[in-house]
Order: sequence, then structure tokens, then C-alpha cells
Amino acid sequence: MTDTLAAGFERFLAAAEPDRAGRVTSCEEITGGYSRISARAVVQWQDGAEEMFILRGDPPAGRGVFVSDRDAEVALLRSLQGVAPVRTPTLRGYDATGEHLGSKCMVVEAAVGATDLQTLMAQADVVTPWTDLFIDTFAALHSTPLDVLPPSMPRASDWRSYLDGVLDGYERMADRYPSAAPVLRHVSRWARGHRPPPVPLGLTHGDCQPTNVLVTPGAPPLVIDWEFAHIGDPREDLGYYTQNPLAPNVYWADPEYFLARYRAASGLSADQVNAEVVDYFLLIGMAGLLEQLFVAAQAIGHDDRPGILAPYLINAISHQHDMFLSICDRLS
Amino acid sequence: MISRPLTDQLVRDCCRELTEEVLPALADETLKLRLIMAVTVLENAAVRAAHEIAWMRSETGTAVAFAREVAAFRADERIEVALAEVEAGPHASLHLVDVVDVYERASRAFDVAVQVAHEAQAEHLIRRAADLLRARVDVERTVMAIYAVVGR
Repeated sequence: MTDTLAAGFERFLAAAEPDRAGRVTSCEEITGGYSRISARAVVQWQDGAEEMFILRGDPPAGRGVFVSDRDAEVALLRSLQGVAPVRTPTLRGYDATGEHLGSKCMVVEAAVGATDLQTLMAQADVVTPWTDLFIDTFAALHSTPLDVLPPSMPRASDWRSYLDGVLDGYERMADRYPSAAPVLRHVSRWARGHRPPPVPLGLTHGDCQPTNVLVTPGAPPLVIDWEFAHIGDPREDLGYYTQNPLAPNVYWADPEYFLARYRAASGLSADQVNAEVVDYFLLIGMAGLLEQLFVAAQAIGHDDRPGILAPYLINAISHQHDMFLSICDRLS
Repeated sequence: MISRPLTDQLVRDCCRELTEEVLPALADETLKLRLIMAVTVLENAAVRAAHEIAWMRSETGTAVAFAREVAAFRADERIEVALAEVEAGPHASLHLVDVVDVYERASRAFDVAVQVAHEAQAEHLIRRAADLLRARVDVERTVMAIYAVVGR
């Protein structure tokens, strides 16, 4: 696969940067991702310079579970470049048709010498500085002015409409999937009756976890993997992170510290950001992914089966059911 | 029919073969990951094979009973229609597809009853629904078998 990709990448470079005669000297797949096909490639330019790139493409049609829009991700990265309060990947090219790279694929500069924040947290004797960096980075991301974002990015008219839209998604899932319907209906009806205080809608990353923050000494942290970013309630990112199983989870290490730091960085109040509210937003932050899990599960057994990930992640549906019921219990 | 070993024993034997003999021979990290996922799915299937008909039969009865309980509290045509659909299901058959059919009809009746309970703000029924749902999800957790939550 990587030989084919390397050859395709050379053709892409010849078209994108024809004067530099780039030669791909290595190309290896990055394993472990659930959604996109990623590879790390090193390019030797004619002038002797060497650069490393990350290729991030759609899986072949009918394969994979999590679906996201590469055009939208590219448009977002372009809009954020240089104006976002956080550092974002530098986009060097985009094969929008898959002509060279086999599927829609973006090419970004690799963060050379960077370590992901999760690894730094796991290695640290004192994790607090990394916790602060994580919280501050996402609070800054959430403060991104909405007017810099692509006009094509969906935005609700107000906070209540946004939340209702997410909960409507649960009702749609309940209508479609009978065996899960009672749980989903109960959760959505419960959530409608327990709305937390509103906050301004903002840029929400959608996959908030320390592995998506890369740290290079002497440089601002780099936030990667924007495929699920949207304009939503930023507290979704906090709720989403609470279920992250990678140790250490710095929210669960000290929830009150985490929340106080986020409140200070975001300017939100204790009514708007507290443990109960974050618990609630796990429901909201997981809605989109849950729907994709159901869609993938329905495709099992058909000719366009989405691969082994789909039956494997039926377990994730059960895990989410369990988490959702626990949240309703705790907050009732 | 050769009834023993049981289906779950056969599936688990395949899991063992894959884990102990095939997995160590693989060098490709992506293939290893796929094999581990496949073994997890087979472990899920083993649990289901041993119990799913009994579990679905039991949950069907519970769901219908709850729907009737809600209907007794507040008459609602949606529940009556859903319960009639359950009645019309292929109850006599133990073929899996038929058991699932009845189970899904009963789940729909349960779903409608949950809606009615919330609309009526009947706290005792909402609490009862939550308890029944917890029992359903506990079964789902049992099916998860060796699955471990990992980061995306």
C-alpha cells in the first residue's frame, strides 16, 4: 500500500511543486487511527533539502466507520492558518479528487521533533504543567472568532436550537434502530428536561484529547486532527475528554482543578462549567460518533461492508449506552 | 445435528487458534490489529450464541409488561398499536431471525412507552424505565466480553 502511495505522492508533488523535483525517500503507514488513512512520508527535494509530511486521506469507498468531510477539513485549516488562537497544521497541498493519492487526501507538514501531549503526561513526574497546557490550549481554541471560519460551516441560530438539533439526532437514531430505541429515547427525553445554562456557541474540536496536541520545544502547541470540528457548544470537548481511557486522564486526576483552570481561561462561570455540566456534555459530544457507529453496524453483512472495525465497535455502542444511563442516573 | 461442542465453544476454539498460532506469525502491525479486533468480535459472538435467544425472550416479556404498565397509567393509541404489532409477531418460532423480529417489535413498544412516560412526566414510570434499561445494558456489557475501551 505504501509503495503505491509513495508513487502517487511523487506524482502529486510533480504537479503541486513542479520546479522542485521532489523524490519520496520513505513512506510508512501510521497505524492505530480509527478514521482516516494516515502515512508519514519523507521527501528529498532537488536542492538537497529534506521535508517530512503527513498524508491524511479518506479510506476507500465503503471502508471505515467514521466518516468526515475532507473538503470541509481543508477549508477549515485554510481559514484557521495564522489567525486561530492556537497553532494548526500547515497545509501544503490537497488532492481533492484522489487523482494522485487514490482518495481525497490532504498533505500537511509534519511536526518534526514533536511529542504528543498524552505521551508527555504519561512520562511526567509532575503532570500539572502539561495539564495546564492542555486546558489552556483548548480554551484558546474555543475562543476562535466565528467570523474567521468558513461560511460553509454549519451554524445554528442560537444555543438552544443547536442543542435541540443534537437531541433530535438521538431521536432519529431511536426511530431507525429499534433494539437501541428505548435507551436512546430515554436519554434524549431526559436531556431535554435537564438543559444546563447556555454559553456562546464556539469552535469545537470534536476529538479533544492530549494525543491531538503536539508539543515541540520552543514552539506553541500544535492542534491536529480537525475532521470532527464544528460550531457547537465548547463544553462538548470537555465532556468528550472525560471518557478518554488513555492514562493519565487529567480531568479525572483532579476534576475541580481542571474545571477551575478552564473557567479561568475561558471566562465562563461555575454555573456554566462544573462537573455535572461536563457530565451532561458527554451525551452531547458523543452524539455524532454514535450515529456513525450505528450506520456502520447496519452495513455489516452487505457487499459494501465497512471492515472489521464496524463489528468491533458495536461494543462501543454498548459502552456508550452504559455511560449515558449512568449520566442520567447521576444527574437526576 | 452434532450438538457438542457447543457453538460458543467452537467459536472460542477458533479464537484460541488465531491468538496463539496465527497472531504471533504476523509481522504487519495493521494486520495484527485487525486480527485482534476480529478475535474480539468472535468472543462477542460466542457469548451471544450461548445466550441471546434466552436473553431476547426474557427482555421481550419485560418490555411488553412495561408498555402495558404505562398504558394502564395513561391510555395511548401509540402503545396499543405497538403492542398489537408485538402480538402479530412470529412468537412460535425459535429461529433467530424470528426471535429478533419479536424482540424488535417489543423494543418499539418499550420505546413508545418510554416516550409516553416522559410526556406524562410520570416520575415513577421514568424511574422504572431507567431500571429496566439498566438491566438491558447490563446484558450488552456481558456481550462485550474481552472488549477493552481504547482511545481513538
